[in-house]
Amino acid sequence: MNNSLILSYTTFVYFGAFMAYLLGMVMNRAFLSRLGTYLSLLGIAAQTLAIILRWVETYEMGIGHAPLSNLYESLVFFSWTLMLLYLILEWRTKNRTVGTFVTPLVFLAMAYASFSPNISSQIQPLIPALKSNWLISHVITCFFGYAAFALSFGVSIMYLLKLLDTAEKNNRFLRLIPSAAILDDLNYQMIVIGFLMLTLGIITGAVWAHSAWGTYWSWDPKETWSLITWLVYASVIHTRLVRGWKGKKIAILSIAGFACVLFTYFGVNYLAGLHSYAKQ
Amino acid sequence: MKTAQPKSNPNVIWSFLSSVKLTIVLLILLAVVSIVGTVIPQGQGAVEFAKTLSPAMFRFLSTLQLFDMYNAPWFRLLIAFLALNLVVCSINRFPSTWKRFSVKPAPDRSKPFENNTPEDCLEVSVAGDKASERVEKILESGYKNVRQKTSGANHYFYGDKGSLSYFGVYVVHLSVLLILVGGLMGSFFGFEAYVNILEGETTDQVIIRKTMRPLDLGFDVRCDKFSVDFYKTGAPKEFKSNLTFLVNGKAVRTSDLLVNHPVEFGGVTFYQASYGSVAGKEARLRIDRKSNKPVSSEKTVKGNISYPFPGGEGTFKVVDMRNDIMHLGPAVLISVKPKTGEALEFWVFKNHDMVQKKLPPPMLASPKFNPDAFSPYRFSLTGLKTVYYTGLQANRDPGVPVVWAGCFLMVSGLFVTFFMSHKRMWVRIIDQGEKAKIEVAGTTNKNPVGLQTELRHLMTNLQNEFHKKG
Repeated sequence: MNNSLILSYTTFVYFGAFMAYLLGMVMNRAFLSRLGTYLSLLGIAAQTLAIILRWVETYEMGIGHAPLSNLYESLVFFSWTLMLLYLILEWRTKNRTVGTFVTPLVFLAMAYASFSPNISSQIQPLIPALKSNWLISHVITCFFGYAAFALSFGVSIMYLLKLLDTAEKNNRFLRLIPSAAILDDLNYQMIVIGFLMLTLGIITGAVWAHSAWGTYWSWDPKETWSLITWLVYASVIHTRLVRGWKGKKIAILSIAGFACVLFTYFGVNYLAGLHSYAKQ
Repeated sequence: MKTAQPKSNPNVIWSFLSSVKLTIVLLILLAVVSIVGTVIPQGQGAVEFAKTLSPAMFRFLSTLQLFDMYNAPWFRLLIAFLALNLVVCSINRFPSTWKRFSVKPAPDRSKPFENNTPEDCLEVSVAGDKASERVEKILESGYKNVRQKTSGANHYFYGDKGSLSYFGVYVVHLSVLLILVGGLMGSFFGFEAYVNILEGETTDQVIIRKTMRPLDLGFDVRCDKFSVDFYKTGAPKEFKSNLTFLVNGKAVRTSDLLVNHPVEFGGVTFYQASYGSVAGKEARLRIDRKSNKPVSSEKTVKGNISYPFPGGEGTFKVVDMRNDIMHLGPAVLISVKPKTGEALEFWVFKNHDMVQKKLPPPMLASPKFNPDAFSPYRFSLTGLKTVYYTGLQANRDPGVPVVWAGCFLMVSGLFVTFFMSHKRMWVRIIDQGEKAKIEVAGTTNKNPVGLQTELRHLMTNLQNEFHKKG
């Protein structure tokens, strides 16, 4: 079966996972939330298979390369890393409520990849600039960073919602969200992982740029926006570790940080620059 | 434990520079101004953009140096300010960090044991003194700074792990400085240059991008061959230059230069940056003589060499060959020197029919574009040998190793800061005659989950020691 067909089915599976997590919370039914986990596992298994098939297919075409070379493949990989990271988190924390806030992002990334008319799912050969051993390490580190920041974003939204929860309101949905302290801790952990990964992503990108273009840093819009994102999260970490900021402030800063991530990923495509192959 | 207060300094400037508020303001400020440079095209792109602006807007933006923002003095000053803030903050906080690192807590503290659970306790059938020797051995093998205190038959131990993790943050700060220093080294002692070399040609100069001035390399580079491969889809597959480096005219090394595979020679690194083609030195011409008895001949001609007309009416030579002129394709400029009369020059295009359609009538009427200008002959260009040139980027940057060292330190420092913690462990052995009770406890500066794992680990080691050997 064609890999992009499997991937478009995966999109629906992820939508199902989102609905199951959401209904599980709204109706307070544990089995629905569990169904969310099963659907997520099914989705990621199918997606992993499709990525492998796609990889194999490039070799059959005689242009063998990792499926990380254009916007379609990057969106698929982004949703894969986000789903993987979320499932690890769910397994570690034994809590399924975060799924309600993260699976929609996974689904949206897949839906954008599969159904946007501007994005071609065709396998394209690598242009000379992309033919580098640094491609894989650069993309993997960047996208694990993006995924950790996306989780931090989801957790921040949960934190802000949890603040609305009061005893007299007795809202079932809000009551199921873990305590503010747990969310705050989780948020910080995700920011830290994302920051380390983003740092690695920028460094591997610099090493690659140095061998491809001769300069490790050329203030290309994508580079600059990744630095902007890095600076924002660096200040989040400083406010937390040195100034002792917690909770609401960190949640708001984390949402702002994720806006920078999104701009680094998508917004930059509307600006001229060297990273143009990530546009189509 | 109480941490030492940062040393209070009456100097206002010092306390301003050592504030983390300033750090956060500077980080956010740098982030915000960096956005400007991604919206306004920089460097070469700025020229096109500037044409679309009103003169007042252009003046405003160029006064603020926004067309080359990242090289502007004010932007660099902002970075320098951040570096200064980082240095002052680090110096300011170092004494208290050092104190936390070097403090030696008493082995017989009881506070860490206050929240103990039965899991943290082990009963052994060995007397206190005997048990103490074995506990000490275990602690010595897994912890640093192990100290002991004895009171009667009871024994108290302290040991710790990961105390160096306090310095991770200094490593990160140092790495930022190293990267900035590496960048400065590059801009002071390095250069970014380019050169286009025709296939078969040699150069000993490159052109510095910033100043557009030539720079002597001190050796020669020859491009033996340039090749470009395409996929079936038409997308480029590979650009390759075969380069030979010559010192004093002697070939020293031959290398293949590809995108992503730079070649270093004589302290200069060459990168495959671009390519193009120009007309070579040979053209193929067909010459028709219109007469009662038409004569047609075709020959390959070299540039700037005079050839006689078949009928002996004079000579002609090709004085210019262009791969593309006015987007009308290949053309040659022919200069005719008749036996009698004045010399004349005219262009002969390869795509004659297309030129007839596209060229405006006044130009067509001019003899400059008329291949029949020298009657009774008519020239046609049937072939033009084109030659590739390779576009090389030639850089020297002595700061690169320093930047890489900074990157390595940054990742290591971040890892230590985020994922390692200082774990202080206490073990007390309460002697109960023939038996003893061993208890473990600990504190940590962060990561309480990690501390619990550490305590379980130590407990397992103790159980193995005493239960296996009795």
